Amino acid sequence: MTSTTAPRQARRPSRSGAIWRGVAGVLGLSIVLEIVSRSGIVDQKYLPPFSEVIVRSFTLWGDQQFRDDVASTLLTYLIGLGISIVIAVPLGALFGMSRPIYRGARAVIELLRPIPPVALIPLVLLMLGSGMEMKVVIVVFAAVWPIMFNTLYGVHDVDPYAKDMARSFGIGRFGIIRRIVIPSAAPFIMTGVRISSSIALIVVITVELIAGGAQGIGAYISRLRGSYNDAADTYLSVLAATIMAGLIGLLINLLIGWFERRFFGWEARDSA
Amino acid sequence: MSTTSTRTLATRALRADGVRPAWQRALVSIAYFVIPIAAILGIWQLVVVLSPPAPFFPAPFAIIGNLWELLFGSDKAVQQVFVGEFLQTVGRMALGFALGAIWGVIIGTVMGLSRGTRETINPIVEFLRSIPATATLPLFIILLGGGDDMRVAFIAYGVSWFVVINTAQGVGSIHKTMLDLGKVFRVSPARRLFAIILPAAMPKIFAGLRIASTAALLLAIVSEFMLASNGIGYMLVQAQGRFQLLNMWSWMLALAILGLIINSLLEFIEGKVLAWHRLSRQRT
Repeated sequence: MTSTTAPRQARRPSRSGAIWRGVAGVLGLSIVLEIVSRSGIVDQKYLPPFSEVIVRSFTLWGDQQFRDDVASTLLTYLIGLGISIVIAVPLGALFGMSRPIYRGARAVIELLRPIPPVALIPLVLLMLGSGMEMKVVIVVFAAVWPIMFNTLYGVHDVDPYAKDMARSFGIGRFGIIRRIVIPSAAPFIMTGVRISSSIALIVVITVELIAGGAQGIGAYISRLRGSYNDAADTYLSVLAATIMAGLIGLLINLLIGWFERRFFGWEARDSA
Repeated sequence: MSTTSTRTLATRALRADGVRPAWQRALVSIAYFVIPIAAILGIWQLVVVLSPPAPFFPAPFAIIGNLWELLFGSDKAVQQVFVGEFLQTVGRMALGFALGAIWGVIIGTVMGLSRGTRETINPIVEFLRSIPATATLPLFIILLGGGDDMRVAFIAYGVSWFVVINTAQGVGSIHKTMLDLGKVFRVSPARRLFAIILPAAMPKIFAGLRIASTAALLLAIVSEFMLASNGIGYMLVQAQGRFQLLNMWSWMLALAILGLIINSLLEFIEGKVLAWHRLSRQRT
């Protein structure tokens, strides 16, 4: 069915064809993994049957501990992203509107930005302990930058003629910000939020994984690795929990992508 | 999007500064760089010196001096630190980054060139890259043990996704005419790949490499936090465990400097390699 559409409609991708191929790809890989494992080509110790991993990733949800950890990760992610937006948008807007302020702050920004957020973990861990605050601080440090820079570009890109026109119609400074600057910068800010969102989730899970005594999916995986009572069973759980972390990440990405297209879809921009 | 924005920033800057002579402009931009940093360092130093001792925040100059001492100090055992820890981290990171970049460009090119392949493996790629790379570290430890090869493989794995996605996008968005042109002129497939496809996708690939390089440093540190015997990340955790705050700050500074160097290095290479790209766009 797909082959008939291929030559003439090569420029216009057919959606259903793509979906079927995707399904075939996923099914194909699952079957290959299952066969490779069951037939013993690769030791089951290293590659448990795929079906067992899937089953385990469902039964994980029966574990109260796992549910608590997922909730903790999501909560930290939301708080961290929220605080990042609250900090980054006003800062980005300020830098975008005033060149001298941006030039003054730029040296400090350029020095802070390349610091890997995980490098802060030991310090923050000593200062705040291994609780939620510690995670949030590091997430905010990581997630602030994309939002700030995109806000800066967005505010900077506002059409100067639109601003002049509003001014000549007698609209005040705050009116201009509310009616022209914010609407035209919003898609940029949203792009920043989308980028920061995936960074925030990665950083949350990384911090949980590293910092001993923390809560969350990362900590769940880390604790599993620490318990060596049944190696094969532990490994299965580690695989399943990792897959669940991926699924949560995928869902959040899809949700944000949908939100962006739904509410900020008027802005045509490349998908980078 | 961001490239065009920076360009408008730059052109506007040119216009604004155009009235002043060159030496004044240079002086102003140096002042904009030096003064804020000097002010922050000065205030920090002053607060630490004047206030009752704050254990968590050593004085900035003490941190810098201590880092110098740690890396290049006169002590024989300490002398090894630069080779044994600093270069270890850099080496692992560079190797992992190189492997991941090569692997990523290969997979990305295959995905970009063939729609069938792209549509078939896209869901798998999307899912795998949604797994936070750091969360796979325990898997890597279980599968490959705690050695250096595990760390390199882990960094390569985590880095490759950024390169795959960007390469696939770059190769996939090459104009069909360009590919057909190669076919019409009977250019050999290998030359078509290296002379037409990859150069055209280069700007996108470089965008991916930029993100990947930052990720490589992060992954290298994370892999040293867990189960390592050397490297900056390991030293950082050791300092934390022994409550040596000055050393901790020094190693954090080392990581910041490393991040800065990597960032500027890639920016520099990108500027050299993609000079044609920006020029060709400016002319239109």
